[in-house]
Amino acid sequence: MPKGIDVSNVAKDFELESLKQGLRLDGRKLNEFRDVEINIGNSYGSVDVKLGKTRIAVRISAEIVAPFEDRPFEGLFMINTEISPMASAMFESGRQSDEEILISRLIEKAVRRSNALDLESLCIIAGEKCWSIRADIHYLDYDGNFADISCIGVLCALLHFKKPDITINEHQEIIVHPINERVPVPLSILHIPICVTFAFFNPNDVEENIKGDSNAELIVVDPTMGEELLAYGSLTLTMNKNRELVQISKAGGLSIDAMVIMDCSNLAYEIACRITDQIREAIKADDAKRAEKRLEIRL
Amino acid sequence: MEVYSPEGLRADGRRWNEVRNFKCHINTHQNSSDGSSYVEMGNTKVVCLVSGPMESPSSGRKPNSSSNLTVSISMPSFVSNSRKKFKKNDKRIQELCIFLVKTFEQIVIMKNYPRTIISISIVVLSQDGGLLPSCVNAITLALIDAGISMYDYVSSINVGLYDTTPLLDLNHLEENDLSFLTLGVVGKSEKISLLLLEDKLSLDNLEKLLAIGIVGCHRIRDIMDQEIRRHGNLRLSKITNK
Repeated sequence: MPKGIDVSNVAKDFELESLKQGLRLDGRKLNEFRDVEINIGNSYGSVDVKLGKTRIAVRISAEIVAPFEDRPFEGLFMINTEISPMASAMFESGRQSDEEILISRLIEKAVRRSNALDLESLCIIAGEKCWSIRADIHYLDYDGNFADISCIGVLCALLHFKKPDITINEHQEIIVHPINERVPVPLSILHIPICVTFAFFNPNDVEENIKGDSNAELIVVDPTMGEELLAYGSLTLTMNKNRELVQISKAGGLSIDAMVIMDCSNLAYEIACRITDQIREAIKADDAKRAEKRLEIRL
Repeated sequence: MEVYSPEGLRADGRRWNEVRNFKCHINTHQNSSDGSSYVEMGNTKVVCLVSGPMESPSSGRKPNSSSNLTVSISMPSFVSNSRKKFKKNDKRIQELCIFLVKTFEQIVIMKNYPRTIISISIVVLSQDGGLLPSCVNAITLALIDAGISMYDYVSSINVGLYDTTPLLDLNHLEENDLSFLTLGVVGKSEKISLLLLEDKLSLDNLEKLLAIGIVGCHRIRDIMDQEIRRHGNLRLSKITNK
């Protein structure tokens, strides 16, 4: 949750009161995810994703480097998440705030640690040469929920990215064939992790939350900036279509009953399935468009 | 090496639902801090010192600019088998600190301590799995020792999954092999304040792990409660004997 913007008491009460009645300021239901809009750019691996007003651009780049000595059969993959003040005035450049650290660790765990990108397929000559894939996330506009959108953006971009084809000649030299000479090869993506964030609100006082057993805490999916500012804690679940939990992170905040967390995870699974299909469709549509273009050029 | 044998024994001889030897003491560093504790979960050993509530050192700071609770963890290079330097700005340690701050902000009755800071520092003496749980337990004890008002205990433990068998309180070897869930539970309730999973786990197994984790947390809470009461009685007897 970003700090630095003070919300007036009137606005706070209004928002909480409307949430208690099951209404959100942008007209969504409490368990409704915002619509994801995926725009695929001209070059391979450049994607622009919108989630309501939150907007990011992801760009993938690849180069050939030497692998780490202790992992000769694996390529390199890094994700750069630096939130600039462009997204919102509350982010400072240079110094990383707590929220930024949490977001970057979350993306790291959801995408890199879960092996979404098959690192072994990036190896060219064991111990000598491998591909290094780098994902740069540019945060363009902030209206809450950077975690979920970053994950969608990175996965879209990775699925769309194609690296140039290579061959190794008899002198063990690597020849990189430019994209217009040979058809480039896609990356091998093992699964598509999708993050879903829930924000918690407490309609009663703190004591009721800790001692009582009413479980009246309000749970909101995909919080906007206004909601993030007022929420007491959040829970981010990362899942893929195979009913696997990739990562869970609930850093303190309101205490939530275990059964409620189970309900959240079932809801998150439905959302993850829907978004996975949407990503796949977007990529497929773009592939078809490109194939058509190629055909036109040949004719 | 086998993590869990067909006979139902783990590498260190425990059954699936057995916690490692849990030892705790409070008021271990009377002169250097306001509250202190020492927690041992098997071979993981942690010392926690609390100072505060005290005046904020930078007096010009805005009262609600950031949290009044700070946590720092120091990991000397001898904590694990491979002698390795831990950088102060290691992202993983920073993440742990943020998790701990956010957990205890809700549990400490912060409205009783406006415009003051409570600083918690943890020194890890030996790391054998379950670092986050032992930090949570140590902080709970040290805050109680410092006399800081809290709503309830927070107790924490991790649970792993081996095939279909849940294993309670993993050590370092098991943590490396299995995917595990770390939970922090408030008091005797079933409410989860802290939840962390870093590796893949099937969704259908989550409920099982949560249920066993909560029971484990309650057991840890009972041991901590006993130690607090024992220490309290000891102090009381000292006063009455005078």
